[in-house]
Amino acid sequence: MQLLFEQLLNGLAIGSIYALITLGLALVYGILGILHVAHAGVYAVGAYVGLWLYSLSGTLLLAIPGSMIVCAALGVAIERFVYFPLLKYPPYVPLISSIALFLGLEEVCRIVAGPDLLTFPAHLPFPSFTVGGVFVSSTLTAVYSVTAIVLVFLWFVTTKTEFGLAMRAASQDMEVASSLGVDSQRVVDATFVIGSAIAALAGILVGIYYNQVYPTMGAMPAYKTLALIVVGGMGSAPGAVLASILLGLGETLLIGFANIPMPRDALAFIAMIVVLMWKPTGLLGRK
Amino acid sequence: MKVKALLLSVLLVLGLLCGSAFAADTIKIGLLAPLTGFAAADGFSVLESVKLAVEKVNSTGGVLGKQVELVYYDDAADAKQSVPLAHKLIGQDKIVAFVAGSYSMPSRAVAPIFDEEEIPLVAAYALHPDLTNGEYCFRNGFLGTTEGRVAAYTALELFKAKKVSLITSDNDFGQTLSEGFTGYLKKVGREADLVLHQTYPGSEKDFKVYLSKIKDAAPDVVFFSGYYFQTGPGLKQAKEMGITNIRFIGEQGADSPKTPEIAGDAADGFVILTNLDRDDKRANVQEFLKDYRERHKIEPDMVGASAYDAFMIIIDAIKRSESTEGKKIRDAIATIKDYDGLTGIIQGFDENREVLKPVQLQEIKDGKFRHFGIVDDIELIKP
Repeated sequence: MQLLFEQLLNGLAIGSIYALITLGLALVYGILGILHVAHAGVYAVGAYVGLWLYSLSGTLLLAIPGSMIVCAALGVAIERFVYFPLLKYPPYVPLISSIALFLGLEEVCRIVAGPDLLTFPAHLPFPSFTVGGVFVSSTLTAVYSVTAIVLVFLWFVTTKTEFGLAMRAASQDMEVASSLGVDSQRVVDATFVIGSAIAALAGILVGIYYNQVYPTMGAMPAYKTLALIVVGGMGSAPGAVLASILLGLGETLLIGFANIPMPRDALAFIAMIVVLMWKPTGLLGRK
Repeated sequence: MKVKALLLSVLLVLGLLCGSAFAADTIKIGLLAPLTGFAAADGFSVLESVKLAVEKVNSTGGVLGKQVELVYYDDAADAKQSVPLAHKLIGQDKIVAFVAGSYSMPSRAVAPIFDEEEIPLVAAYALHPDLTNGEYCFRNGFLGTTEGRVAAYTALELFKAKKVSLITSDNDFGQTLSEGFTGYLKKVGREADLVLHQTYPGSEKDFKVYLSKIKDAAPDVVFFSGYYFQTGPGLKQAKEMGITNIRFIGEQGADSPKTPEIAGDAADGFVILTNLDRDDKRANVQEFLKDYRERHKIEPDMVGASAYDAFMIIIDAIKRSESTEGKKIRDAIATIKDYDGLTGIIQGFDENREVLKPVQLQEIKDGKFRHFGIVDDIELIKP
């Protein structure tokens, strides 16, 4: 029983990390209908910029906001200079450019920072405690806390503010929203700012969590997040979070109790195929 | 236009001919290493260590009265890249022997090519059993079965473990490691003491799921196989989870200064099976360690020392055979005996061209690899 509880906590942490990376992808798809693969590249850049600022300043209080600002700018630049001019073409055109952009960002990280794995020796000041004989380490509480803060912030912005209303309107039909006075360009910009800033946060968190930052760290998220937004329901942020948490738990339980010699990464795609066959709109998708 | 193109190509051919005419004054040895890509740190160590070996040979008069020239390319640890580079080394560079300084997949892809051309190959540290299938292919590293066997011996005999566990990756290396490990347990009649055997996918970085199970099974010793980017976070996570009374042992994949860098003080007490002893008193080892540290300000490691030895084994064979002919070099490598290498006294190669040499045990203390022990029982180390 204790082991099960411990494994659920481990799975929840993995799921939380997936959720932080997937959120930006879901937000962008919701607004523009583009599969923003380069998002995983923004995530890697976020980790590198965070590490760089941390090694310069010695404090995460500067590194985290600094990296979030850089990535937000990068996200908006991608939207303005790459996706926006391509919106008039069929969806696979921006998708291809997004993949190219992702590979380019990986290479930029490699050329600038070198091919070696770097360590991120920062400490996250979170408490550890014991519940019912199960030890919850400070890294686990750090992951839970950061994810919870991000989710609450997003929930507040999207449901309780005027901007959130504009965002939801634009995601339903951008043209109609525009004609009713919604500044859709601002909404799109803001979506990229929020998504990319969260990706930076996720990059730093993962970098510290595994104590490693390396050029190809976005490779796994690049494809797994695609499966996750399909499972969650294309463009649904709550769906993406739900799918991420479920996948984290599923992977953990599969390894923890079955010891099936199957790559855990396959589970995301099996889930994607099942969802596409039985419920193509995803867990929380609309239409 | 046509004339111009013709002239140009004649010039080009002449240039190439001149190039190879000059090159005949040196003895060329080929090397492929992963200088970019995920294994770039290993590639750097391989290349820089072999460069030290080349300098040592050339500064003492070269070999057969000629200077040695190292011809190296980057294969990015990718078989698709290593194959054309192997043809280039053979056809264009005319190398006389080859040091396989890369991982198993790219090295395995090129081994038959060199074998076919009768160019001797010495693999530095790649582990796949098929690598040495060809008559011209030798290995200066341990097979997975050997490492698994010595790991089991270390756990049961040196650490007196009552219960042991095994964590291996789900690839062929993990498979051969666990064969060696369980084979030894079977031989000494203690199969029942293996309380948990867990495999993980090669991309794994989060070991908490496995560690929770380990904690539950409560073994005394865990053989935790994996690269530094896996054992590093794994050990760190174990400490965070409050696992302090279990001894972890690893293998040569963890032989990198990155392991203690990633794991921090959680790496202290981690014992690995490898083939470089940093506290080896022999002058050649200390000289190599000193030169490497001075030049690069980082710690030398197992892959570099193994590549250095692979190169020197070839040079030694050229010297003894007094020839640069593939067949003669091959025969000289096959009959090498008690060669004084960085990675220990190389007793020789067996009939399958696998190396016979002691396994070094290193323990991480204060972030550095230090001498822990040496296993030279022939029953344990023979492939």
